Amino acid sequence: MPKPSDLLQGTLDLLILKSLTSAPLHGWGIARRIQSLSDEVLSVQQGSLYPALHRLEQQGWVVADWKNTDLGRSAKFYALTRDGRKQLERELESWRRLSSAVGLLLKRA
Amino acid sequence: MTFSRFVRICMQRLQALVRKERLDEQVDQELLFHLEQLEKENLESGMSPAEARRASRRALGNMTVLKEECREQRRVSWYYDFCRDVRYAVGMMRKHPGFTAIAAISLALGIGANTAILNVGASVLLHDLPLPDGERLVVIRTVPPQNPVQQGHASVPEYVAWKEQSRTFESMGVSISSQQDLVVDGAPERLLGQAVTPSLFDTLRVQPQLGRLFLNEEAQVGKAAPVIVLSHRLWQRRFACDPDILGKQIRLNGRDLKVVGVMPRGFWYPMENSEFWVPLAFNRFQLGGSARLFMVTGRLKTGTTLEQAQADVDGIAPQLERDLPNRPKGWKARIVPLRQHWFGWMRRPLLTLEAAVILVLLIVCANVSTLLVARVPAWQPEISLRLRMGAGRGRIVRQFLTESLLLSLVGGALGVFIARWGVSSLEGLKPPPGSIRISGMGQDGGILGLAALLSVGTSLIFGIVPALVASSSGSDVRQATVCRRRGSLSDILVSAQIGLALVLLVSSGLLLNSFVRLVLDDRGFNPKGILTFQYRIPVEDYAHRLVGYRGLPAMEFSPPTLAMQRVYEKLKALPGAESVAGSSAPPLDGLVLPTATLHIEGRPVPATPSDRTNANVVYFLVTDNFFRTMKTPMLRGRDFDTRDLSSTPWVAVINEAMAHRFWPGEDPVGKRFTVDAAFGERPREVIGVVRDVALRSVRNGPPQAVAYTLYLQQTDRYEGINAGMFGQMTFIVRSNEDPSILAAAARRAVAEVDPHRPLANIQTMTASVEGAMETRRYSVTALAVFALLATALAAVGVYGVTSAWVTQRAREVRVRMAVGARARDIVGLIGVRAFWPVAVGLLSGFLGSIPLTRWLDSQLWGVTSSDPATFAAVIALLIGVSVAACFIPARRALRVNPTQELRTQ
Repeated sequence: MPKPSDLLQGTLDLLILKSLTSAPLHGWGIARRIQSLSDEVLSVQQGSLYPALHRLEQQGWVVADWKNTDLGRSAKFYALTRDGRKQLERELESWRRLSSAVGLLLKRA
Repeated sequence: MTFSRFVRICMQRLQALVRKERLDEQVDQELLFHLEQLEKENLESGMSPAEARRASRRALGNMTVLKEECREQRRVSWYYDFCRDVRYAVGMMRKHPGFTAIAAISLALGIGANTAILNVGASVLLHDLPLPDGERLVVIRTVPPQNPVQQGHASVPEYVAWKEQSRTFESMGVSISSQQDLVVDGAPERLLGQAVTPSLFDTLRVQPQLGRLFLNEEAQVGKAAPVIVLSHRLWQRRFACDPDILGKQIRLNGRDLKVVGVMPRGFWYPMENSEFWVPLAFNRFQLGGSARLFMVTGRLKTGTTLEQAQADVDGIAPQLERDLPNRPKGWKARIVPLRQHWFGWMRRPLLTLEAAVILVLLIVCANVSTLLVARVPAWQPEISLRLRMGAGRGRIVRQFLTESLLLSLVGGALGVFIARWGVSSLEGLKPPPGSIRISGMGQDGGILGLAALLSVGTSLIFGIVPALVASSSGSDVRQATVCRRRGSLSDILVSAQIGLALVLLVSSGLLLNSFVRLVLDDRGFNPKGILTFQYRIPVEDYAHRLVGYRGLPAMEFSPPTLAMQRVYEKLKALPGAESVAGSSAPPLDGLVLPTATLHIEGRPVPATPSDRTNANVVYFLVTDNFFRTMKTPMLRGRDFDTRDLSSTPWVAVINEAMAHRFWPGEDPVGKRFTVDAAFGERPREVIGVVRDVALRSVRNGPPQAVAYTLYLQQTDRYEGINAGMFGQMTFIVRSNEDPSILAAAARRAVAEVDPHRPLANIQTMTASVEGAMETRRYSVTALAVFALLATALAAVGVYGVTSAWVTQRAREVRVRMAVGARARDIVGLIGVRAFWPVAVGLLSGFLGSIPLTRWLDSQLWGVTSSDPATFAAVIALLIGVSVAACFIPARRALRVNPTQELRTQ
């Protein structure tokens, strides 16, 4: 199994928030989704996912709720709050700025 | 941050605090779910169950660490640390009750005292002025060139100039106290009221409850209209709230005045005991006069600052000096906010006390700090263990600070009681004349809040050093270094404590010394058994006309000598009176000290204003029995006697200070001087010298020069600023028994001469002295308590240092003893250890107290601020206390059994 590339500091938060835009998900689901959306290129260090989720919960960007899964198993589902959506937009914006700047730099170098 | 997010975060933190177990359980479940899903996936990809399990565990990493990381996201670990620290600190405090008690009680004193004084200070600043928009009211005071601290009222020409030329005042008015004798239904009573210009009430923006205030035409130059406005209190007390009082005539000082108004309840100005107001009409004498007797109150225009108003009156001064060429130059005007004028008297005692209690609090901090530092070695094993286990240095600091905070809060809680006691003592302070007592100081909420704030602040001051020392000591393997560093630090603290204690002891020692002299009645007279009261014949009864004197219009008087003499004769016949005398001004605590300029025979006549000031002495006109009645010892020459009459050669008695000032090294008896106050003055020969007499109950400076002359030996035509004093007499009656029982008989005797004139201010001299001493007693006692406390604390400091030394060197001491050292040698070693910090402290305290005590000079009677006896006694006391503090650890060191020590070695 190829070693997944390390995530940039702060990028994990962005990915988690992005993965929650369509529907609430539990931790496992978020990990799956990030992996599938990135065509298996990015694999989240699964252990680091949970502290990040708890941090986002404490900061009020996401809200958690215990619900049953499709298989009838109780799990903690995370959903974006209204503030979380705005935060996501801010982070996306700064990510775009950063990536275009880095892209420009790499092109010129 | 949006509000909804803020609420969400708060709820999260709250949940983290109150539902910790449930949240932890949820973390477990959440991670378990993830593990299960991973395992299932691995199984599906074809792993064996055991392998799938292992792989999933590996993917998630160390579960314990992961759970801890999740928990840390809740950001409330500080709370659990804090709870742990508090439990730990409570445990420590219970384990060492002695230490806890000493620390908490000393902190309680420091915090409580500061709380009380800061609290009173705040209420002085925030006390409501009982007048509309009172913050814009100011009093314009005048300041003599020689003594900028001695502010006074203004003269009429000054007022007129300010009123007409200033641009920063909306309006301005004048008041002057006036004591008048009111007779209602045959009962005379002396009342304090005010003569005021009509503009004063406009300035104050007040309206009467009934009737009207004064019209401008009621205060034309030279003729005040016979009208009066009553205080609500007087209306209630003497006229039973008569609703038809307006228009009635009442008799005041023999004049019939028409009541035109009654002020609302609670109104007074400028003194709380003002009972009436009459129009003030300046006469021609006052319009050109220099007597600064008039209180000028002004209202600043909106938006005008004090500085602008000050600049405004400063600009008027040069013109004023040109207009009045005959007056002493250099007087300045100062704008004083009314609040400061009324309540400012608290400033000095408050600042003095605050300085003392801050010193005490600092000493307490230094001390508790030393005691805490001394305990550090005991914790070293545990601290190094915790540091090695990964606790940060900040964590250790926090733990020690928590303990300090807890100690400080316990101290602060006890301090609340001390603060309440302190505030009520300060409320008991009596204001000087013209100032206003502040009531309702020390709200409980304020005291609690301040005490809490001070506790937290104090805990940081005394806690930070021990916390830092502790957190660094644990990591330091070589303990010797720590001990040495700790040693020098506590040495500095001990020196500081000894120094501060010395300053406080010297200050309170000097004040106490002076106070004891006053308590022992060492004032140059004996107040026991003396009854005093004032009798007055109004100026109107003996003033004749205006004449020219020194280029200024002046009233001419024939002193009512004979009328006064009749009263004196009546009083002399009082049964039970051992001796009776009179004096033109109260011999003690007079509002204004009468002065006179002297021309000494054979020396140049004082001409310039400064010459005249130099030739000024305090001047009393007395009856022949004065010194015998006061029991003031004659030092040289003879006393006045009944053979000295107006027709015999005029004589004078002077005090030591005057003899020393005008005839140093000479015998003043037989010398002659003339009082420069009137036409008909004759030269007076000095016939005797008496001891210096204190002119105030407390707050005497160095003795002033005083000349006494006979009431009978005065000219029958009088002018000058002190003319008004010759119509009044303070009578002094000495009795073998309780003098207060003489009051009724004295009243009857005086009524035989004139039934309309009351006796005023009847009081025993002991009572008035004690009343004045009461205030002083508070501050002297408070300062003495602080000084003794500081000494006790310094002793604890010395004890801490020597005791720590004994603990450190216990082994060395035992070995020394085992090999034959005697107790004396060991005690000597401990003494050497304590010597330097104590010596440095004494020296610095001594050097520090020399400038610091100089400002006490004006408050001392009978001692100087550099009194060697006080200094010597204080230093001896501190040395004794230090030696005693070394004694306890020394005994502990000597109690060990040397043979046992040898065995354990």
